[in-house]
Amino acid sequence: MEKIENNILKKIKITFKIDGILQRNQRIWVSVESNRLIELCQWLKDEGFVHLSAISATDWLEEGVYEMTYHLWSYNEKILLTVKTKIDRNKSVVDSVVPIWSNNAQIHERELHELFGVKFRGNPDLSQLFLEDWEGPPPFRKDFDWREYLKKEVFDPKNKREQVYYDKTK
Amino acid sequence: MAKKSKKAMVMRKLIKSIWVFNWFNSCGFSELVPLVGSRWDMERFGMIITGTPRHADVLFIAGYQTLKSIKRAQLIYQQMAEPKVVLALGACTMTGGIYWDSYNTIKRLEDYLPVTMYIPGCPPRPEAVFEACDKIFQHVKELK
Repeated sequence: MEKIENNILKKIKITFKIDGILQRNQRIWVSVESNRLIELCQWLKDEGFVHLSAISATDWLEEGVYEMTYHLWSYNEKILLTVKTKIDRNKSVVDSVVPIWSNNAQIHERELHELFGVKFRGNPDLSQLFLEDWEGPPPFRKDFDWREYLKKEVFDPKNKREQVYYDKTK
Repeated sequence: MAKKSKKAMVMRKLIKSIWVFNWFNSCGFSELVPLVGSRWDMERFGMIITGTPRHADVLFIAGYQTLKSIKRAQLIYQQMAEPKVVLALGACTMTGGIYWDSYNTIKRLEDYLPVTMYIPGCPPRPEAVFEACDKIFQHVKELK
C-alpha cells in the first residue's frame, strides 16, 4: 500500500511542480517561492490541513533572508506539513494567511510583526502584542544587540545600581 | 502636651489591620506564599490579603515587570484609596534581577510607581518582609 505522505507529495508535484521532502513518517517539508505561498496554502487547506499550528521566522543573517515557516496539521491524515518560504530580511514583506486561516493566523502574524518586523500584506491589524509602546528595532533580529541598546536608551551611568553595566573590566 | 497625647490616643484607635493587594509577576507569588501560609502566618500581625485594590492599603509588587504589565500595575495603584503604600519585593523590581539585560523588563520601578520601600532578596526572606511591614505600621502611626 502506498503511503499517504507519498500520495500528498505526488499531488503537490503535479499541481505546483514542487519537490517536497518526506522528512520522516508523518512529516513533510515543502519549500515554495513567496509569491506562490497563498496559492499553495489555500490548496493545502482544501486538502485537509485546516489547523495552522504556528508561524515562525528564522533570521539567516549571512544570507540576508528570513525563512518563514508554517506548520500545518491535518486531522484526517495525521500529518504535519511544513511550508517554508524565504523573503528578503531588509524588505520583509509576505502575503498574509489571515484570509485562509483567519484568527488562527492572526496572533502569530502580530507576534512576528513586532518581534521580527515582518510586514504581512493584507493583515488588517498588526498592532503590538507583548511590546506595548516599544519604539526600538524589532528585538528578535540577529543584528539587534539589546545590551548596547539598553546602555544607550535605558540605563543611566549616574545611577549607582547601573554603573556596573558600564564597567568594561567585567 | 495633653492635646498631643489625646491625638495619639485617637490615632491608636484609628490604626487598622493592613489590607494587602498582591501584584506578582512570574515567580513572585510562589516565593511569597509562605508569608500567607501557616508557617509564618502574616495574619497574626494584622495583615490580610484582599482581592480588590479598592480595599487595599498596601500594594505588594514582586517579580519582573514588563512594558505591558507595568501599565496594569499603574491602573491598580490608581484604584487604591489614600493613604497607600507600595512595597517592592525582590531584586527584579530594583534592577530587573536576572533579566537585567532584557529589552522588555522594567529596570527601575520607582520611575513608574511611587515605591515606599524596596525589600531586597531573590526572594526576600519572610522575616525581611515582616520587618518592612513593621516599618509601615510605624509609618501609619506617624502619618498624622
